[in-house]
Amino acid sequence: MSIQDKVPVTILTGFLGSGKTTLLNRILSEEHGKRIAVIENEYGEVGIDQGLVINADEEVFEMSNGCICCTVRGDLIRVLGNLMKRRDKFDYVLVETTGLADPGPVAQTFFMDEEISSEFTLDGIVTLVDAAHIDQQLGRSDESSEQVAFADVLVLNKTDLVSDDALNTLESRLRDMNRMTRIIRAENAKVPIETVLNLSAFDLDQILKRRPTFLEPEYPFEWTGVYDLDAGKYELMLEEGPDPEMSLVALANQGESEEELKDGAESSVRLYAEKANSLDPGNTVPYGEHINLKLEDKGNKSFILNIEKPTKIGLFTQHTAEEFNMKVIKSDENKEISFNTERFWQAEHEHDDEVGSIAIERFGDVDPEKLNTWMGRLLSEKGVDIFRTKGFISYSGNPRRIVFQGVHMLFTAQPDKEWGNEPRRNQLVFIGRNLNEKEMQEGFDKCLI
Amino acid sequence: MPDIEPFSPRGMFHEGWTAEVNDYAIACGWALKGKQFIVGDVSGGLFSFEGDTGKIIWKKENTHSGGLLAMAIHPEGEIFATSGQDGNVQICNCHEGKLIKTLNLGKGWVEHLKWSNNGLFLAIASSKKVYVFNEIGEEKWISEDHPSTVSAITWSNKNELATACYGRVTFFDIVNNKTNQKLEWQGSLVSMELSPDGDIVACGSQDNSVHFWRRSSGMDAEMTGYPGKPSHLSFDDSGKLLATSGSERITVWSFIGNGPEGTMPGELCHHTEPISSLAFSNKGMLVASGSRDGSVVASFLKNDGNGDPVGAAFAGDLVGAISWRPDDCALAAVNAKGVVNVWKFKVRTNLFSKGFK
Repeated sequence: MSIQDKVPVTILTGFLGSGKTTLLNRILSEEHGKRIAVIENEYGEVGIDQGLVINADEEVFEMSNGCICCTVRGDLIRVLGNLMKRRDKFDYVLVETTGLADPGPVAQTFFMDEEISSEFTLDGIVTLVDAAHIDQQLGRSDESSEQVAFADVLVLNKTDLVSDDALNTLESRLRDMNRMTRIIRAENAKVPIETVLNLSAFDLDQILKRRPTFLEPEYPFEWTGVYDLDAGKYELMLEEGPDPEMSLVALANQGESEEELKDGAESSVRLYAEKANSLDPGNTVPYGEHINLKLEDKGNKSFILNIEKPTKIGLFTQHTAEEFNMKVIKSDENKEISFNTERFWQAEHEHDDEVGSIAIERFGDVDPEKLNTWMGRLLSEKGVDIFRTKGFISYSGNPRRIVFQGVHMLFTAQPDKEWGNEPRRNQLVFIGRNLNEKEMQEGFDKCLI
Repeated sequence: MPDIEPFSPRGMFHEGWTAEVNDYAIACGWALKGKQFIVGDVSGGLFSFEGDTGKIIWKKENTHSGGLLAMAIHPEGEIFATSGQDGNVQICNCHEGKLIKTLNLGKGWVEHLKWSNNGLFLAIASSKKVYVFNEIGEEKWISEDHPSTVSAITWSNKNELATACYGRVTFFDIVNNKTNQKLEWQGSLVSMELSPDGDIVACGSQDNSVHFWRRSSGMDAEMTGYPGKPSHLSFDDSGKLLATSGSERITVWSFIGNGPEGTMPGELCHHTEPISSLAFSNKGMLVASGSRDGSVVASFLKNDGNGDPVGAAFAGDLVGAISWRPDDCALAAVNAKGVVNVWKFKVRTNLFSKGFK
């Protein structure tokens, strides 16, 4: 049976009160043409009159060998074993877990049990977090940080109850914990259905086709302000700040919605990757370029912004506006124009969560044998603490890219597309608890040729 | 199954009859001493056929809302019980399929049913509890909650019931409401069979092993190395051989002498896909196996557990269940498409000293 014939399964996790049932009901009531079978935990309360809703007690079965990767969910094996016989009745499965569930055994069930893996394929793990309470929950329970760590998609729910500042801080905390996940903000669990179903998150081939990297960007800038400006000449004024210079990207036609801000941020990340052109005070700021404002001089420094026709300008700055008391002033009226929207991005952050992501990116080839030994040892020693692994590797002598992924100690690697003219490189992302970044990077570096 | 062409019955399978039910057939069995053959499908359809001809006698639909999970025919063959996702057990009469009694056990799935050998008791497993009722549907005993959902039940003698769940097998004297024995082992037990004398307990485990206990001596052993979880187990009627399978291969352990510990098991490799049903004949050392690939094979085994196929047939699709007629002169297989196949099974009597006509 090929993967296309297998029934996709989405796992929905999240703490009590995070909005799982709301999301579930939303998915079920939407017209998407799918017939969805729902496996609910014993406290679940799907309100929709839906044909296939099955309640199951969460039963976590450890094996006598004590191996954590062999731990599976017995209830899912039973229920899915029965659903297999009713494949004409549904074409998608949603598994809702309780807030206390460890996503590891749920995911492992789809790899460890032959009967299940021959009929079902894990499509993705979606974790809902209650924006108002997740900060406390993360401090109090291992389960909530594990659910964040395992997520392919994090729905940051109930955003209407939290300030934008707090959301931004929270988002960067979550991003730190899981750099592979996609974060979606929502009120009342209102998310586009395609952002949670049919992700093929465990089909690396597919993912890499859509996005060339497993890593969500880390932003090299801390602040964005969007200014609604009429045609004319403006000055960008900065006072003394913490640095004698500051990087900046100015984008024209910058929208103000979260999505548009993210799009702008993504463009800016790419521009920031290019070498910055230095700009002395008194010069005009170009659009869509990485520039470096020279700020050594004492007192106010001003740069010119020329606006030909009315537009919204997005300024993506290395530091926050406040740090330099940055202002935009309309020259002829000498009037300060304040921003319409601001957005903070946390670029550099202290890492205070036990759960975090480690990314290793290196150009060059690795020695397959050395890598095997290293990974083998790493997973056997740290497999309990490593929740998920994804990556691609360039093996010396192999024309094809090797993609791999793992859940705890379970690990698969397979050849992917040919490298062709692309520069050979490697990207590994580990999400886990108390991982030693330096040690892991050094370990990987020894595998490079 | 594009590569497998249907082929005519050969060897000892002779043409019998075929019929169809509405949905994926998951349970079947012979009633009225082989005069009737009853099939249950996953959506709750029940169908009774004439054992010799396949002519339909009666049918019932939607017997359990949510679907059927198990069926057990009383050893006398006059009545049978079914259970389903609706939390109900129905006891019906075989002749007309008439409902005699409905037992409601709550909202959990009722997954396992077993009549005691003398037919006085019906054991029922639903979630973490096991219930015993008598033939007319009166409740006789209820267990405490097990540590997890009960995965298998079987009678070890007329009053003693064995239950398997995560981490243990328990023996209950259901007449005196007493726990006779607990066999503990950390593992998820997915299947259980007892030797006919009730001494040997065999359980298939999620971690791809089979665990044995000998109740009389307290010795236990673990047989590892299965490629998949051994969901299918069957003892022959003498208790000498235990056929097990968690893949396309059948592994047969022989309990003759000091075995099976330290011995090489017999291996039967007749199927291309994993076994989906496995059953010894009522008497003698014939084992029938059905596979996900739709093949059905009967093999005649030697004392060491090895053996040769004596007949094979193609059932058309994944074999949901197989059942030997009480006289072993016919073998039935029902499949995932709802097709029922019954083959006459003929054994030349001079080859075997007993058991077959």
